Amino acid sequence: MVSTQLFPYLLALAGFLFTVGAAGVLIRRNPLVVFMCIELMLNAGNLALVAYGRFLNSEEGQVFAFMVIVVAAAEVVVGLALITQIFRIGRALDIDDLSEMSE
Amino acid sequence: MNAILVVAMALTAISSIGVVISREALYSALSLVVTLGMLAVVFLLLNAQFLFAVQIIIYAGAVMVLFVFIIALLNPEAEDRPVADWHMTIALGGVVVTTILVFVAARNGVTYSDRGFRGQLIGSANNPYHAFSFPVGPVNASGNVQTVAGQLFTTFLLPFEITSLLLLVAAIGAVYLTRRAAH
Repeated sequence: MVSTQLFPYLLALAGFLFTVGAAGVLIRRNPLVVFMCIELMLNAGNLALVAYGRFLNSEEGQVFAFMVIVVAAAEVVVGLALITQIFRIGRALDIDDLSEMSE
Repeated sequence: MNAILVVAMALTAISSIGVVISREALYSALSLVVTLGMLAVVFLLLNAQFLFAVQIIIYAGAVMVLFVFIIALLNPEAEDRPVADWHMTIALGGVVVTTILVFVAARNGVTYSDRGFRGQLIGSANNPYHAFSFPVGPVNASGNVQTVAGQLFTTFLLPFEITSLLLLVAAIGAVYLTRRAAH
């Protein structure tokens, strides 16, 4: 049986994972690594959902964590297709170089 | 149980740092595999057996294989980043401050009421969450998969259907994006 004393530590781990992912999005320039950091942030949300569901004795957190996993998979599929396409037209894989794509 | 959970949490935190600071994208991907696997262990210990299986199959299986495949296909050159400049300092400070703030808020049971945010000890001072300390309880009494599926196909049927629509759109979008343009 997992002690309830660990609940704040689980939430702190979720906050830590989210912030590490956000920091990675900000300081890394490789779009592949940026996508991995987004996965980290989504997993931090999942961890918070599951931890709250466990300690509030509710299963709804797990249902929503499942949906977050599906959304993350869809996001990875589209994102990696975009990266492949960017590579195919001969652009460097660098977030800073790609920032003028919006123009 | 508690010892395994603490070890899994520590490995999750350490390998998540590895995702950000690895110089090569492949090492980041391998660190992410460890992070996701250890998170799966945490889910298992939190009585979310279905999510444990889903996490292993979808993340460590499908998503990471896709990542490693793309990395091998594109073979991006090794980055000379990250360097220890002021971005790094701000990021590190943000990580530390957020973790401490979330821990303090969770430890003291910060709640929101009409008087705004305030600290409130829910249970005793030593263990504010003892009011939540249920055993496995009625939630998982009939099995985790049955419980989650029951919610998924009744209460959350509409979000579930919208999620399936999202998957369809993502599949069509990926095929459209990667098609070879007609000359």
